[in-house]
Amino acid sequence: MLVVLGLWWTLTSGCGLIDPNRFPDPAETWAALQQILTPGYAGGTLVQQAWASTRLVLLGFAVAVTTGVPLGALMGLSRRAESLLNPAFLLLRPIPPLAWIPLAVVWLGLGDGAKILVIWIAAFVPCVINTWTGVRGADLTLVAAARVHGADPVRVLLEVILPGALPMIFTGLRLSLQACWTTLVAAELVGTLYGLGRVLDSAYRDVNPAMILVAMVTVGLLGAATTRLIAALERGLTPWQV
Amino acid sequence: MAGLKRRPGRYESWGLSLLGLGLFLGVWQVLAVGMTAGPQVLPAPLAVIETTRHLLVAPFAGHTLLGHLAASLQRFGLGFGLAALVGVPLGLAMGRFGWLDDLVTPLFEALRFVAPLAWVPFAVLWFGTGIGGPVMVIFAGAFPPCLVNAYRGARQVEARLVEAAQTLGAGPLRIIVEVLLPGALPAIVAGLRVAAGLAWQSLIGAELIVAGAGLGFVMVQAQSSLSPQIVMAAMAAVGLVGMLIDIALRRAEWAIRRQWDQLA
Amino acid sequence: MKDIRFDGVGKTFTTRGGAACVVLHDIDLTVQAREFVAVVGPSGSGKTTLLRMAAGLDQPSAGEVRVGGRRVTGPGPDRAVVFQHFALFPWKTVRQNIAFGLRCQGASRARQTVAVDRYLALMGLDDAADRYPSQLSGGMQQRVALARSYAIEPDVLLMDEPFGALDAQTRTVMQEELIRLSRQEPRTVLFITHAVEEAVYLADRVVVLAHDPGRLREIVDIGPTRAAEAWNTRPIHEVMELPSFTHLRTRLWRLLRDQIRPGN
Repeated sequence: MLVVLGLWWTLTSGCGLIDPNRFPDPAETWAALQQILTPGYAGGTLVQQAWASTRLVLLGFAVAVTTGVPLGALMGLSRRAESLLNPAFLLLRPIPPLAWIPLAVVWLGLGDGAKILVIWIAAFVPCVINTWTGVRGADLTLVAAARVHGADPVRVLLEVILPGALPMIFTGLRLSLQACWTTLVAAELVGTLYGLGRVLDSAYRDVNPAMILVAMVTVGLLGAATTRLIAALERGLTPWQV
Repeated sequence: MAGLKRRPGRYESWGLSLLGLGLFLGVWQVLAVGMTAGPQVLPAPLAVIETTRHLLVAPFAGHTLLGHLAASLQRFGLGFGLAALVGVPLGLAMGRFGWLDDLVTPLFEALRFVAPLAWVPFAVLWFGTGIGGPVMVIFAGAFPPCLVNAYRGARQVEARLVEAAQTLGAGPLRIIVEVLLPGALPAIVAGLRVAAGLAWQSLIGAELIVAGAGLGFVMVQAQSSLSPQIVMAAMAAVGLVGMLIDIALRRAEWAIRRQWDQLA
Repeated sequence: MKDIRFDGVGKTFTTRGGAACVVLHDIDLTVQAREFVAVVGPSGSGKTTLLRMAAGLDQPSAGEVRVGGRRVTGPGPDRAVVFQHFALFPWKTVRQNIAFGLRCQGASRARQTVAVDRYLALMGLDDAADRYPSQLSGGMQQRVALARSYAIEPDVLLMDEPFGALDAQTRTVMQEELIRLSRQEPRTVLFITHAVEEAVYLADRVVVLAHDPGRLREIVDIGPTRAAEAWNTRPIHEVMELPSFTHLRTRLWRLLRDQIRPGN
């Protein structure tokens, strides 16, 4: 940590190896952090901008989980549902979520709606696929064991198949979350009024590398924090896993 | 589970798939026609196909669709190639030398959560909007899986093989090239496939934001001129090419895995 | 030809809990040039650690290991290792495996071919030259590993239970082969095994280790008997029925059994 800071200082201010218009030195970055924390930058303080972005990610993610997991479970349980839904899925899947941004903007404008739509698309696919794979891979011996003990299908689903699929589902959730952040940043760079993407965009237009760095680090930290949250949730929900 | 046992026959399955496809296209068509705003908002499937055919011959935003595709593929090839050329050797070397691992891992972990697209401002500041900027964004997207998979693959190569090579007089470079690289090859190719997907995705993102040509640029231009049928034509092209890249790499992955399974 | 000297060699590992675990304690042993020394001992007596230190794959915590008068600091081509599980490169053919060490030394193509052909013939591997290790039986794989080690013409051969993974029949054949090979190409050999018969049949001297901590218990001289009765020129089953052989075997068994019996 100290080595990195020292190296950073030496390369920028210390001997001026790196042009300050290309990469900021520590002092500038500190000043930029101060600026965005109290007066604000690009229409809001850091906390407001970060919350604007995080809110969208969480909303889009929540919608994707509540739609994607049940659909994936359905496709995993019933071959008929799988046959029926798979073609549409195969057609839409190769299109990267980012490619939906222009269409979402045409449909819903530059507001929150378009962003939630693309975040939903980004997170939906990994949710469906991993739930589907997890449910399809259910341990048939355990299912049989539950049935001979008199469990009805609903109980088998809730107490045997879903718990067995949980690790796989959580892998999907982690992938989803990463996709959410990538998509949000892209969507906000394409056009928005608030959010970290807006900060990045304004800083880029003002040729303010220090502010770019502050915004990037914030995006990274938020991404890491939400991933930690998912990991904690997974540990809580699947205590049997080591 | 009842549903798990009742497996539909092959024909029934095919029929259901066809029905699903028909339903999907039908609903799309009905929605497109039925919407009051007409083709401005949701163009019908046939309109999209027609637009695609038109774009193949008539230039839009400077080039035909194929011209834009060529621009995109060039950036993709550069960014992806660079990521593989840097990431794979570095990953293998990290799997061999503990000090390199200790040096790179903290830095890498810190950067891992920065979305590739967040590099766009710096990329443009450093390398411009032409080729360099987008290539760097693609690199940022494709680099992590190249590195991580090469590293994991190298760590999974049996210690005995490395020791055998050492006792036969192999130097570090030879061990990396002749022992770790072949041993990690299946993992590396799997990583390259993931990397290619992320690279393609980052490319489109970068082109949406900064570029003067390419499929992403087509989409942004069509978005500003409110032509959803052109946006969708470009989306179809993006999806199709991305799928072809994925299929090609998947084939390579299977072929190598099969061969390696036979060897093991 | 070089000798191997262990001078007051000890090895201590630190377990995860932080406790020190003494694997080897104060070993003094010299393997003369061209001598064949077998090491037997109960599991946990540090036989393999002894060999790995001579190979330079592990470093002693106390004392030092010298080969040909020079202190061992790392692996080198003057000391070839034959591993229990062969450690052949699965992605290289038999020919490429045998040539590996020669290539590391920068031998010319012509010299490689000559040497490889010679050892292919010597080990009866002519028909398998272009096959991959996975297409060979265990016995054949160990022949390749032996050929690979002999091909770099090392002064010292370190063998770590080389026949331990083979079935009983193949094992006997390989033991006979090794006697034939070391008659044609004498080397300084340190041979680790847990099979007493194998040790008596192959070695000039047998070193018995005690465990907890691993230390030298006794050295049994086989050489004079071997020379007097010309064991090396007689078939293995004949040698194993000689009264002198059974006598030596029983003596070693007793020594080992005292080790294994609790409270001794």
